[in-house]
Amino acid sequence: MKTKIKEYRKKLSMTQEDLANKVEVTRQTINALEQGRYNPSLELAHKIKKALKLQYIEEVFMLK
Amino acid sequence: MITKNKKQLTWRYSFAIVLIVAGLLILHYNIGNEFLGFSSVGTWLIYVGFIMLAIITLQLISNKKRIVDERMQIIASKAGRLTFLAIILVSFIVMVSDGIKPITIPYSYFMSYFVCGIILVYVISYKILLKYS
Repeated sequence: MKTKIKEYRKKLSMTQEDLANKVEVTRQTINALEQGRYNPSLELAHKIKKALKLQYIEEVFMLK
Repeated sequence: MITKNKKQLTWRYSFAIVLIVAGLLILHYNIGNEFLGFSSVGTWLIYVGFIMLAIITLQLISNKKRIVDERMQIIASKAGRLTFLAIILVSFIVMVSDGIKPITIPYSYFMSYFVCGIILVYVISYKILLKYS
């Protein structure tokens, strides 16, 4: 899974810690997501989409 | 995703109290000595119960927000599987080595080492998986 979390996070001037706190996960999990080492559940993907102020999950998570 | 809610705390406190009460009953009626073969069973149950109470209370007092997210849960299950495999492997090695040369250490010592080993394998595999996967 390819993600654009980092790009959208930078646009909103958010740190990994900020995003982690918003979606109630650890900073390490956000890092793993950004590196593409972990695929999130649908629930977490929705939370991330909401935290990054996006409309669709596909904007941030896409298949390679 | 964030644990440590009231229901969970109630369960944990109840379990600790059950351990203490069971320990007291076993000691009072001398069940440990007469039926279980270990006179110190009751004392140990009380000890574990009090340790548990102390840990739960300390966790309750400290306001540190503990996050257990889905990735950690998945890693915990992976570590559990690895530990299970390790148990099977070690059991097999013990069986073979016991066949070659009988193990003469007391059973209580053997089980203590075995349980400590299981915990160690679980913790180490969990930490490694958490960092590198």
